Amino acid sequence: MLLLDYQNVLIQSLLTERFSGAPPASIDQVVSDFDGVTFHLSTPESKTKILISINVKCFKELVQYGAQEVLEREYGPYIVTPEPGYDFSVQVDLENLPAEEEAREELIMKLALLKRNAMAAPFERAFDEFTKLAEEASQYTSESAPQGVKEGGDVMAIHYREEEAIYIKASWDRVTVIFSTVFREETDRIFGKVFLQEFVDARRRVVTLQNAPQVLFRSDPPLELEGVPGLNNTGEGEISYVTFVLFPRHLTPQRRYENISHIQTFRDYFHYHIKASKAYIHTRMRKRTADFLQVLNRARPENEERERKTASGRTFRVQS
Amino acid sequence: MSQSLRPYLQCCRSSLTAALAISNFASQTSERHNVPEIEAKSSPELILNPITISRNEHEKLYSGLTCYPDIEPSVNSVRISLSIKQADEIEKVLVHKFTRFLQQRAESFFILRRKPVKGYDISFLVTNYHTEHLLKHQLVEFIITFMEEVDKEVSEMKLFVRIPC
Repeated sequence: MLLLDYQNVLIQSLLTERFSGAPPASIDQVVSDFDGVTFHLSTPESKTKILISINVKCFKELVQYGAQEVLEREYGPYIVTPEPGYDFSVQVDLENLPAEEEAREELIMKLALLKRNAMAAPFERAFDEFTKLAEEASQYTSESAPQGVKEGGDVMAIHYREEEAIYIKASWDRVTVIFSTVFREETDRIFGKVFLQEFVDARRRVVTLQNAPQVLFRSDPPLELEGVPGLNNTGEGEISYVTFVLFPRHLTPQRRYENISHIQTFRDYFHYHIKASKAYIHTRMRKRTADFLQVLNRARPENEERERKTASGRTFRVQS
Repeated sequence: MSQSLRPYLQCCRSSLTAALAISNFASQTSERHNVPEIEAKSSPELILNPITISRNEHEKLYSGLTCYPDIEPSVNSVRISLSIKQADEIEKVLVHKFTRFLQQRAESFFILRRKPVKGYDISFLVTNYHTEHLLKHQLVEFIITFMEEVDKEVSEMKLFVRIPC
């Protein structure tokens, strides 16, 4: 099984090289990441000042859910005014790096996780909201709880791709994360269905997975999304919804960070596996076809007439 | 091969061997043409009765093997079409992918038809040319192996789609 990295490997390696004390060089590189995110690494002023800018499709939405605060918390002193055409920029000065090796590496990692941190904001907000609601709810019994506490918070929608979105909803006893995915092709849809079904089944079957979040899969919008604008339910089964239910045990402060990272890579992981299964089946078919050909070739008589040559190398054909 | 399948495959084998008694036959309708009569269907007298091998009429698809043949013989060619069991969506996709993959390579499988006969998943066309140049019993053997293997392959692939998860 493959698990994807959360950080951007290209940024990581580029910065590692720069930070290692190599002579400063000018950089101008556009790096793309999953979900249409692009980064721009450049040295506009001097060779020692590296500017890293990020462009996220849904940055407006993210800011609405508190991305600015999260990014300020993570990158505080490095933030600069965003480069035109990009949503957010940080700048590191090579002459002003932390002295210790470990601190440098940490900084590199932090910068490579720019996308993850930008996307983490709505999750963090939802988790905080959950804590608040859980506290409130503990004062009531389930019957007497006021509507707001019972129902939980609003649904936060992040339209991180053209047609796909993540919906996050916190309530007093759980946080629900819903992914909508679009399958262009019928085959992909079926493969996806098998794969997602396995998520549901594996949890039931394997004892060690009992603590994993519950995963639900359906092709019509779940009830949590009722009344959310912008749901284009065509009813043709093109869009599927995958729901993760995170229970309090997943939301403890120690686990939050990991959980956010994991959940963000879900879509990439999911699509990777569909592609991988298809490739695997293709190699199998190739092999099987070769086997069939071998069987068929047995039908060829062995002593087939070969071209005969005379001593001088000329060929001739017997007239039949 | 499982014991219960043996008589079924034996039946397929002997029917195929019998059907493959074909000879060169020039077209009756156009001069200097020699076409597979089962495809041209130029005259009813050249076409023999088709045979479907299955356990009973309703259970065509579950005749021991999940793949059953339909043999259409004629004077100079035989067309063999197979239906492969497709119980659910994933099997349908896999069968479709696999047969398509094979048909794209029809050139090297000299007896494979590029398109299946309507209503079937994959078809073979054996002409007198093939029986003259290739060993007949091995051709029959190939079709029997194909029937056995295709079924096995699809169910194995189905399993494997789930295992990597």
